[in-house]
Amino acid sequence: MIRADAPAKLEGRIRFGTDRTRPGMLWAALVPAPVAHGRIRQLDLDPARRAPGVVAAIGAAEERALLPGRGAEATPIFPGEIRYRNQPIAAIAARSLEEARAAARAVRAEIEPLPLLADLDSVLPGWPEEGLPADAPINAHVRARHGDVEGEFARADRVRRDAFRTSGVAQVPLEPHACIAWIEGEVWHVLTSTQSPFGVREDAGELLGLPPERLVVEGSWVGGGFGGKVAALVEPYALLLAAASGAPVRLALTYREEFQLTRSTLPARVWIASAVRGGHLTARTVRLLLDTGGSLPGRDFATGYAIAFLLGPYRLDAFEVEGYAVRTHKPPFGSHRAPLAPQCTFAADGHTDALARDLGVDPVAFRRAHVWTAGDRTALGQEVGPFGAAAALDRARALQEEWRRSMPAGTGLGVGLGYWSTGTGAGGEVRLSLTPERLTIHEGEREIGSGSVVRGLVAMAERTLGLPADRIVLEYGDTATAPYDAGVFGSRTLGALGQAVGAAAHELTAELGRRLGAAGPARLGVEGDELWAAADGRRSPIAQLLTPGERDHGGLLRTGRHYGRSGAIDPARVHAGEFYAYHDFTASVHLAAVQVDRETGQVTVLRYAAIQDAGRVIDPPTFRAQVEGGVAMGLGTALTEEMLWGPDGRLENPGLLDYRVPTLLEIPPIEVIPLEGFPGAGPEGAKGVGEPPIIPVPAAVANAVADATGVRLYELPLTPERVARALMAR
Amino acid sequence: MSGPDGSALVVNGRAHPIDGVPSHERLLDTLRGRLDLKGTKEGCRTGNCGACTVLVDGRSALSCLVLTHEVGDEPVTTIEGIAADPNGRRVQQAFLEEGALQCGYCTPGFVVALTGLLSESPGATAEELLTDLQGNLCRCTGYAAIVRAVRTLRAEGP
Repeated sequence: MIRADAPAKLEGRIRFGTDRTRPGMLWAALVPAPVAHGRIRQLDLDPARRAPGVVAAIGAAEERALLPGRGAEATPIFPGEIRYRNQPIAAIAARSLEEARAAARAVRAEIEPLPLLADLDSVLPGWPEEGLPADAPINAHVRARHGDVEGEFARADRVRRDAFRTSGVAQVPLEPHACIAWIEGEVWHVLTSTQSPFGVREDAGELLGLPPERLVVEGSWVGGGFGGKVAALVEPYALLLAAASGAPVRLALTYREEFQLTRSTLPARVWIASAVRGGHLTARTVRLLLDTGGSLPGRDFATGYAIAFLLGPYRLDAFEVEGYAVRTHKPPFGSHRAPLAPQCTFAADGHTDALARDLGVDPVAFRRAHVWTAGDRTALGQEVGPFGAAAALDRARALQEEWRRSMPAGTGLGVGLGYWSTGTGAGGEVRLSLTPERLTIHEGEREIGSGSVVRGLVAMAERTLGLPADRIVLEYGDTATAPYDAGVFGSRTLGALGQAVGAAAHELTAELGRRLGAAGPARLGVEGDELWAAADGRRSPIAQLLTPGERDHGGLLRTGRHYGRSGAIDPARVHAGEFYAYHDFTASVHLAAVQVDRETGQVTVLRYAAIQDAGRVIDPPTFRAQVEGGVAMGLGTALTEEMLWGPDGRLENPGLLDYRVPTLLEIPPIEVIPLEGFPGAGPEGAKGVGEPPIIPVPAAVANAVADATGVRLYELPLTPERVARALMAR
Repeated sequence: MSGPDGSALVVNGRAHPIDGVPSHERLLDTLRGRLDLKGTKEGCRTGNCGACTVLVDGRSALSCLVLTHEVGDEPVTTIEGIAADPNGRRVQQAFLEEGALQCGYCTPGFVVALTGLLSESPGATAEELLTDLQGNLCRCTGYAAIVRAVRTLRAEGP
């Protein structure tokens, strides 16, 4: 099946956020903070105002004047206290981009430097066994436990303890953030490249103090998101500039700014200990220090859910998890394709793999013996639904034996087991309109590339109604016209909006069946140019089944909804902070074959297989493409991608030369193996697969390196330097 | 057609006067900003992503690293004009059939670069073509479907 957006994309006819313009548009530039932590004593915008072409120059004072109705407790858009290097402290709108940038350079700021917390180690040199200092910069503290942890460790016949470090990684969409803002009377508008128009309305509305009816967000085509375009980022600056200048304002990040300003996954330190008795994994304790950068207190979203991934998907008699979200002077932690799950899985699964090897047990069999199946409970007490991990491990074991026989000597094979909660609890809605010529799906999301909108939603309508894809049209609305949906994130689009399309389509078929006088629902089809409906041997053109009002005005309308839902955790197990209940438990089991150059430390991935718990595959080519893309991105996290910050809080590699994403010849052949039969809550039992395929990649690669060399790496990414050092230290 | 000083840029077979274009302007900005040819994508602007690839006299070039006035009278082909080249149409068809795109932002660069390679080295093997495509980054597909498209093209012959 050819994607509906493919011809236009191949011919260069698609307009992304960076391509959009408006008549009379001004160009914007941001003024970056020259320090990572400091207080702005004085901001002098006059040199910028006097510069050629400048129409507006705004900082904190102008922001306050432009937003008189905003509450006093609101977080300012332009800070008084700088929280990370390059944080925008002012913004310029000018008649050309060159003039805006020149004026941005002319802004003078008097800044009092404040003490800098560059990284986790400068805040806490290790896990704070004795508790935290009273003034520790902590955004969140989470702690949960259950069972006789100390007793299980005392009774254990084997205990293993490991410590891991993981790196900050960037989403690196090819299209940087870009938007255009304008004001029409009381209503502020922004057209933006986003994964979530309604999310931008919520975020930007809160920052600007605008109620939903005064802020309209329209999505453009998105040139890659990967989590980086879920939350508002550039929109509030552009909206303020539009208000200040009275003209439409375009703001696009430079590629350098894309690295410097996008909220992403930040470094973490992890400690894991497991207790084994009689070959059984009985207890696990984990500790997590997560760098959450310049996130504001109380705004941590990652620690409470990511920490559970460190326990792995295993039955445990006892456990304890404890973690701190640590504030440093970096941009805030943000969403990034399964945020922190690949890193936590690298630690948890690497630790489990090593533990099995300590015990002299096959690592796959060891996982298989302890992994959840339907009806088990997670450590936090949530019931696990249908979960394909055990079946996927069986496939992986068979595949591993086959590869072992055929691969050259010196090849290391590694299995990685990861899981994810897909679907999300957020709700969404779509509206279907059937006319004699076509079905239109009215909805609020734009395609970000994964195909979840242009294929996923259309495929659901095709399957439910029986119509071919070329008779199904997507009509994207803005936040004023489209039904609400939370956004394209959390591997939820097919499960949520796809479910909503299916529900609305079922109502259409039921109504058409009634109108045909049939007992059951109708199937639709095409004859000549016309759509027809048939049921129980009765058939009719759609034109004759519609009322005159429907024929003249909008067609036969039905709305479909998805209600977010999730399980429940046992609150008695939670001792501090917030933990989350999950949705569909979705397993990913990967197999990597690697060769390691013992002199240079270079790891080459020769061959790769990804077994993905899919519930039900709705559109095989889209499914395959998601898994392939996720694996490739995971190989970047595993091998090359690492944001490097200097002691002054400066990102030292804000570009593609120094921040290395995988190139074409670095990706091995990837065998994609769907696993069905463990249904999720999505349509026909589908589970989301946007995020899961990235999760086990660093674990599978590191486990394969350990298999090849006998040396285990405890820090991501597995750069040649780190691998060579580990080999030399042996 | 040319400007008062005679300088013109020939894009997809049409000449555009460029005498008003500043000497430091990049070909990428002239194409997108002045000629409204937005199919050529703006990515990193440092020559590292390949999204802005165009053909200059049939050879692939990163339009973010080429000054407009450097081009002289060599013809420029962008994604909007690539279908006029039989190789361009073949590449588009192979990408379409293999689904070798997702978000589509890198897609024009890949199509143009591969078209240029096929014209320049008609006998190149699939491996040689893939080696030469390394300068084009894709973050969505993991390159897997792009590799399949290149192999499909080679299986069809030069």
